[in-house]
Amino acid sequence: MGPNAVTRGRASTLRPRVVDAAWFLAPFLVLVVVWAVVVRAFHVPLRLFPSVGDVLQAGLQEIQRGTLLDHIAQSLTRVAVGAILAIVASIPLGIAMSTNRLVAALLTPILRFFAVLAGIAWIPIATLWFGYGFGAITFVIFNAVFFVVTYNTILGVASIPQAVRNAAASLGATPRQILVEVLLPGALPNIVTGIRTGMGYAWRGLIAAEMIATNAGLGYMLFMARDFYRTEVIILGMILIGVIWLAMDRLILAPVERRTIERWGLARRMGT
Amino acid sequence: MEGLAGSAAFTPAWHLRAASCAVKWLDGHPGLKSFLPFVPIILLWAAIAHSGIFPRVFFPGPWDVIASFANLIYKGILPDYLEDSIVRLVLGAGVGTLTGIPLGLLIGLSPLGQRFLWPLIVFFQAVGDIAWLPILLIWFGFGLTTMTFVIVYTVLFPVVLNTVLGVRSIRLEFVRAAQSLGAGRLRILHEVIVPGALPNIITGLRNGLGWGWRALIASEMIVGTSGVGFMMFDARRAGQVTEVLLGMILLGLLWYVVDGWILVPLEQATIQRWGVVARTD
Repeated sequence: MGPNAVTRGRASTLRPRVVDAAWFLAPFLVLVVVWAVVVRAFHVPLRLFPSVGDVLQAGLQEIQRGTLLDHIAQSLTRVAVGAILAIVASIPLGIAMSTNRLVAALLTPILRFFAVLAGIAWIPIATLWFGYGFGAITFVIFNAVFFVVTYNTILGVASIPQAVRNAAASLGATPRQILVEVLLPGALPNIVTGIRTGMGYAWRGLIAAEMIATNAGLGYMLFMARDFYRTEVIILGMILIGVIWLAMDRLILAPVERRTIERWGLARRMGT
Repeated sequence: MEGLAGSAAFTPAWHLRAASCAVKWLDGHPGLKSFLPFVPIILLWAAIAHSGIFPRVFFPGPWDVIASFANLIYKGILPDYLEDSIVRLVLGAGVGTLTGIPLGLLIGLSPLGQRFLWPLIVFFQAVGDIAWLPILLIWFGFGLTTMTFVIVYTVLFPVVLNTVLGVRSIRLEFVRAAQSLGAGRLRILHEVIVPGALPNIITGLRNGLGWGWRALIASEMIVGTSGVGFMMFDARRAGQVTEVLLGMILLGLLWYVVDGWILVPLEQATIQRWGVVARTD
């Protein structure tokens, strides 16, 4: 994987990228054209489905009023706070679970149980405990990320070949050195994959939670628009939710994941 | 557990033998074995609830939850809601799989199909199931169609992605072998590609159901007509924490059962039966 990615990186000049981008965008153009034609040709009522122009206009309007950017900022802040708290808490737990067999035997089924519940199922009780608003939503996001990252940390530590650990130990590494120089770097590729998956859950959980339990954010914007039958705002919100997630995933999470695997994916390559 | 505690007074050998006996007995009862780690948690929960650190209304004990379980079963509300949720999930998963497999085959087998459909798949997957709810409510109202659509949507993408993976994992030699033995296109599809991709498809279905389960709960809370998700949200509105907790435990248990007793064995059986690709590697 490593060397292949490097040669591909060097060989890629500007033109193939433009062609790739064009190929990626072409289906969307077709989709938008079909949408525009169908709405106009069949006189679809605006109450059911807006036209392309309406959605663009709604977007401009919401930006001018400043509400749209506000909603986006609120959503992103919640995701960031919840995810960072979860990551900070889950990596130590995952490492503790994977270095101590008893802890692992006790906690693994519980982890599996709560991993299933993670996220959305906590909304009712989170709103009871924290009230409607920031606390409840951050809690839901924390949950969505926490269990996935813990689980993946365990997987990551398990994937480190015993030989590497033994080598470090026989060279006189202290437990702390083993932790910092063997376990953490070895588990890092899995941890990053876990963060990426968890963020996927969190983003969906966020939208659901915002529909139910708050008065700001993209999910709230969508749900309010439904109350007023403003389909153009709904479609605008859906597109934004998709685009923001794609940007987060492809521009931040996926490159970080790829680089971590290239840099620290040693354990896996040696193991297999 | 009781046997272990009692044996501590005897010799260590006896102790060990009892422990190994207990472990063996538990191995024969996998359900019990996976329940065991929950015993201390439940005890801890009961102790905290009993100590009164948190008001009982916000933090009911295990007995309250069991009592409310019995009560809701007796009233017939719970069986009805459970049935509603499961019917929605099964229907959604069925439709999602049936549309996902052909789509995945199309993308996996035709380069043009891949070029055109892949970006759309990536984008629509990013939009996410729940973001569809508001517009679905406008289109279809508060009915089964809305819920099914959401679950189909969640199940569809993992099935498509994994079908594509499965098709790609089939070795060219197998296709060529079938071709040189005179198999037509349809036969290759039916006897080489679909069975070869089946293990991946089942994995996709399992992933998709994991997502679908969450989406179902969320949409039941938001749409609010019936189902376990609705029960939890309705109980929250009435301030019945006990029923909220009951709902959460039921959801966890149900998924545990569905995943551990149906999906995982199905996945393993498929891999054993059709996982030719993996075995020859």
